[in-house]
Amino acid sequence: MPTARIIRNTLLMALVVAAFAVSFNVTEADFPRLFRDLPKGKDLILAFLTPDVATREMDTRTISIAFPIPCGSAPNENVIPSEGPRLVPSVDCTDPLTKFTLEGFDLAPNSELVIRWKLPDERLMTAIRTRTDSEGYFTSEVEARPIIATKNGVASRLEVDTLTPVGGLKPSQALLDVLDAMFETIFMALLSTTIATIIAAPLSFLAASNITKRGVIGTSVYYIMRFIFNVMRAYDPLSMALIFAFWLSFGPFPGAMALTVVTIASLGKLFSEAVENIDKGSLEALQATGANPLQTVRYGVVPQVIPDFISYIVYHWDINVRISTIIGFVGGGGIGYYLNLSINDFKWHQAGTAIWAIVIVVWAMDFLSAEVRKRLT
Amino acid sequence: MLRIQNLSKTYPGGTQALKNVSFEVNDGEFLVVIGLSGSGKSTLLRCINRLIDPTEGKVYWDNVDVTAAPPTELRQIRRRIGMVFQQFNLVKRSSVMTNVLSGRLGYVNPWMSLIGLWPQDEKKRALQALGRVGIADKAGERADALSGGQQQRVGIARALMQDPKLILADEPVASLDPVLSHSILQYLEQLNKEGITVICSLHFLDLVHRYATRVVALKDGVKVFEGSAQEIDRAKFKEIYGEEAQEVRAASM
Repeated sequence: MPTARIIRNTLLMALVVAAFAVSFNVTEADFPRLFRDLPKGKDLILAFLTPDVATREMDTRTISIAFPIPCGSAPNENVIPSEGPRLVPSVDCTDPLTKFTLEGFDLAPNSELVIRWKLPDERLMTAIRTRTDSEGYFTSEVEARPIIATKNGVASRLEVDTLTPVGGLKPSQALLDVLDAMFETIFMALLSTTIATIIAAPLSFLAASNITKRGVIGTSVYYIMRFIFNVMRAYDPLSMALIFAFWLSFGPFPGAMALTVVTIASLGKLFSEAVENIDKGSLEALQATGANPLQTVRYGVVPQVIPDFISYIVYHWDINVRISTIIGFVGGGGIGYYLNLSINDFKWHQAGTAIWAIVIVVWAMDFLSAEVRKRLT
Repeated sequence: MLRIQNLSKTYPGGTQALKNVSFEVNDGEFLVVIGLSGSGKSTLLRCINRLIDPTEGKVYWDNVDVTAAPPTELRQIRRRIGMVFQQFNLVKRSSVMTNVLSGRLGYVNPWMSLIGLWPQDEKKRALQALGRVGIADKAGERADALSGGQQQRVGIARALMQDPKLILADEPVASLDPVLSHSILQYLEQLNKEGITVICSLHFLDLVHRYATRVVALKDGVKVFEGSAQEIDRAKFKEIYGEEAQEVRAASM
């Protein structure tokens, strides 16, 4: 009946449209916002794009002059040389809340400058950051704030640090920290993959129908193993990580344990399927020689499944590096934890460094595992 | 002597592969089993060393009831029954040497074999076996690097390692180029002359004439003929292979 079909199709269409309407509503989808709010994201994206990777080693030179505030509160003993690096204030002394000009001559050219006050009690107050020009000259307006006033006849001093880069770039602290955390993540993934392999490999044989599913005992072992793997697989890595975080508190170890459990289930299933897909003929031949079941597995199954096993192991290491990044966010240590910390502290450049490290490592692992798998045929 | 009594096999799906088959094989015979594909030849051979458990009937080998043997005894029996397969059934990724050595698994210390340690004299025996089939130089190669004919010779060398009294050959030349058939069967014939009983299933009738000392024919799981190859005349041939069958000759010698 065509009418019935038309009604059915119309109803189906209406259902699909309704489903989309609901999903729009639930996600509060507002696509124009992507563009409207772009300026807000700009700084963030720029910060991510300029990760904090390198700093230059700096040579710091300091020259200083005493500067009494107010005038006459301390003797003025400055002798300003006529050549060489020197600071020349427009006045020798001044009253609080006035401004004067500070000039510098023959300093290191094109260098960063930090102008600061050294108070009579030795505390430091950074006032201004600026640069020298190509002649080594700078000029800057300085305010004499009341806090800088002379105390007990000792005047505050004006100090200028000239920062000249010496030698090449060196890795920044953020980069070192990121490498450290990445190292942790990669080895966390390696450890969990290794432990999972050691446990999953023997168990997978028990979950392979062509090996175990024989007789009452064998068949029950087979179904029990399958059931265990399936139940374990039902927990995703993130919830597993939360469980272990409650159990073992925070750090890389609970993260690695959570990954291990998830990987056992996944590898166990993949391994057992590899075992089930082997050529039965060679097993038959080995049985016919009078080999016992263990010998049959050792000589008939193992050589056939080793390339598959290795390929799955490398692939899971790759997957685990990615997952442990996410697990880090819930306290699992490693690069994810570092990224979480930098984002919470609004250290966008550091977060950018971490994100770049993740991108590079994930890409490299992906490439590596693809290469390894390509060679194993 | 091998005695097969009222052997029947019904697969779980309901297919009846063997129906009440009985015959005897004397020591030193070269018995050829013929019949169409699906007539039960493979099932029959596999029931002898119990790669397949028969549903009914008995197999006696030297008066030992093979069909009733518990696992350990069964492995002892299998040690002395070599088997050669249509698809060679080598472990393709393992070396030729390992494949040949694996024929000896029933004899060596199981734990040593599990960690891959083989006594020196077993290695020597394997090289001799490979030498007998003319491919001692291939010992180090991966099994799947060899041609079909060479792979089947590795299969024979593996069976030789078992120091067999009986060799079951399930269509040993059916996967090979017909011109290679004789090169493989001649090795089996040679072993037969040295006193090893051979039970071999074959397709080509001219090969049957050339090698068989006696023939058993199966049709739909039933034994329809037992006798010498010369007794298979045109009428018998039609009975075994059906009305539409025509004799095809393998490559002449």
